[in-house]
Amino acid sequence: MEREIKEKIKYLLYPESVAVIGASRNPKKIGFQVVYNLIKDGYKGRIYPINPNADEILGLKCYPNILDVPGEVDLAMIVVPASKVLDVLRDSIEKGVKAVAIITSGFSEIGNKELEDAIVDMCRKNKIPLLGPNIVGVLNTDHNMNLSFCPNLPFKGRITFITQSGALAIGLIGWTWASRIGISKLVSIGNMAMLGFEELIEYLEEDMDTDAILLYMEGVKNGRLFAEVSRNVSRKKPIIAIKAGKSERGAKAAASHTGSLAGNVMLYETAFKYAGVVSADGLEDGFDKALALSLQPPLKGDNIVVVTNGGGAGVLSSDYAETFGIPLRDIPVDLMDTVKNLIPPFGSPKNPIDLTGNAYRDDYIRVLDAVLRHPWVDGVVSIYVHAAITDPVEIADGIAYVWKNYREKPITVCMIGGREVLVANTWLRDNGIPVYPTPKRAMAAMAALREYGRFLERYGNEG
Amino acid sequence: MDERGIREILDRVYKEGRKILYEYEAKEIARLIGIPTPKNYFIEDIDSLNIDNLDLKEPYVIKIVSPQIIHKSDVGGVVLNVSRENLKREILNMIENIKSKMPDAEIKGVLVEEMAEKGVETIVGLVKDPQFGPVVMFGLGGIFVEVYRDVSFRLAPLDIDEALSMIKEVKAYKILKGYRGIPPSDIEAIADVIVKVGEFGYKFQEVNELDINPLMAYPNGVNALDVRIILGD
Repeated sequence: MEREIKEKIKYLLYPESVAVIGASRNPKKIGFQVVYNLIKDGYKGRIYPINPNADEILGLKCYPNILDVPGEVDLAMIVVPASKVLDVLRDSIEKGVKAVAIITSGFSEIGNKELEDAIVDMCRKNKIPLLGPNIVGVLNTDHNMNLSFCPNLPFKGRITFITQSGALAIGLIGWTWASRIGISKLVSIGNMAMLGFEELIEYLEEDMDTDAILLYMEGVKNGRLFAEVSRNVSRKKPIIAIKAGKSERGAKAAASHTGSLAGNVMLYETAFKYAGVVSADGLEDGFDKALALSLQPPLKGDNIVVVTNGGGAGVLSSDYAETFGIPLRDIPVDLMDTVKNLIPPFGSPKNPIDLTGNAYRDDYIRVLDAVLRHPWVDGVVSIYVHAAITDPVEIADGIAYVWKNYREKPITVCMIGGREVLVANTWLRDNGIPVYPTPKRAMAAMAALREYGRFLERYGNEG
Repeated sequence: MDERGIREILDRVYKEGRKILYEYEAKEIARLIGIPTPKNYFIEDIDSLNIDNLDLKEPYVIKIVSPQIIHKSDVGGVVLNVSRENLKREILNMIENIKSKMPDAEIKGVLVEEMAEKGVETIVGLVKDPQFGPVVMFGLGGIFVEVYRDVSFRLAPLDIDEALSMIKEVKAYKILKGYRGIPPSDIEAIADVIVKVGEFGYKFQEVNELDINPLMAYPNGVNALDVRIILGD
């Protein structure tokens, strides 16, 4: 990507002024929603609604043309019908905008490639980054910027989510609040006429507010470029991909064995492996892994200890550890002896360590402290199965209290209890600890931390 | 890797308007890449073949060379276990057979090759994907690839550690480690072939597909018994 264009991507994500071209007074129109959302969610920059038929929209002065705006405009957000996009784009460039985003649909997605190419040409010639067309918009929780027709900002955090599906973006915002999955920016890339995964990932390498990059992907523009860029960026921050479209493409005419076996899914998985991109199995798995990778350090070895108050959950976690390629190992004798003295005689000091249903906050603290302190231990999966006599919030607080002293070793938590553990879950996530409702998901998250750790071991110090 | 030698062969193939290399050309390229193949000779003129001067160890495999025949064994274009004594007769028989089955096939000659010992059959492949560029594949021959599609892929080029990891990734890896009387295979030598194939695909982007099937694996070393290379436009 040209450097000049790359540098200006910041005006898409952090604009200080936005012109909404096609702003509307009609609450049913997207041109209204975008201006309304900017104001409602507390965007601090300047907003310039553009509409030749209105003087004022939502209390803001409205300009007939972007060229009439008195000050500088960082970003032109275009919402006018497709047939008018070229005209307003020309005016925007004349105005000197630094970036352009186009919500409007009706381009290559319906076969109108010509118009889309004309728009890209114009932007490229003028070294302006173009997002879209056919997007829901850009949301940035760090600047309270809801420049989209999504009804709300997502829950604030350090994951940047790049999505090829706009509708999914809207749907998932509620989820981020319910599960307290922290999002820094949500970027809808639509038709990827100019900016796609490749360019945005490259830009996000240096983004201070992004600790993990989550992708919802149907396809990339240039697979090889995607793999190379991602491999580079993965050395600095984890990338998680939810790849949709797993059904195999039709029989490909291939004269060789290799050609006939190299299906689309296989090649994407291969590229992810090459690039250190953690592959997710659907939305839930994608958010689970992104949560762990955005909050926790990578797992630097294979020695994981499970600490549980319920035997069944422990056995399940042990099964899944094997499924996900990080089988539990016997813990060293000295650690086992230490643990033996900390748990009731009917508990188990072996891996998984069973604290028994009588375990209170202090029991978790003592055992977790001994485990995390031990040099053999690389990471911990802590499980709480709701019991009649214990308070999950107390346990959650205990886990968070211990882990604070061992931040270089990753922890994932499983709290089984549905609504009984909701407050405890919130407490954990707000303290930087990923928590999941099942042993399977907690272990999958730990496996993702290991997968990323292995990539860093191999490639982290290159280049 | 002898890049100039490889380039010469590819240029000649393009000049002749072909996309599919003859087996002896593909094997020559394999040798120039640094991949072992059975010792062989391409015989254009059968009549002037002097058997006494042929410095190949018995028994032989003979294979037809024709631009129209891609799947040689389907038309009787491969004969195994031929002795020195019977060589000429077997060649003439094979040609006659093929001429009756495919009268339009243009016969360029035959490939006479030392017959290799039995080992573990593996497949190493390369395909150039429009999205991801050159990609290498590894698997074990026979049902493992054809029925179970038990293969692993990597983007090329790749290093020896990556090649080893893709060998270990297939489910049939156990067989390579030695299994029920089958001795362990030379996994390092297989990995070396994978690395070389990857490097070749990366350097020669005009190559669309390559199959080494089988790459016979032994306790010591490997041997590329059949190599197929297909070029792009």
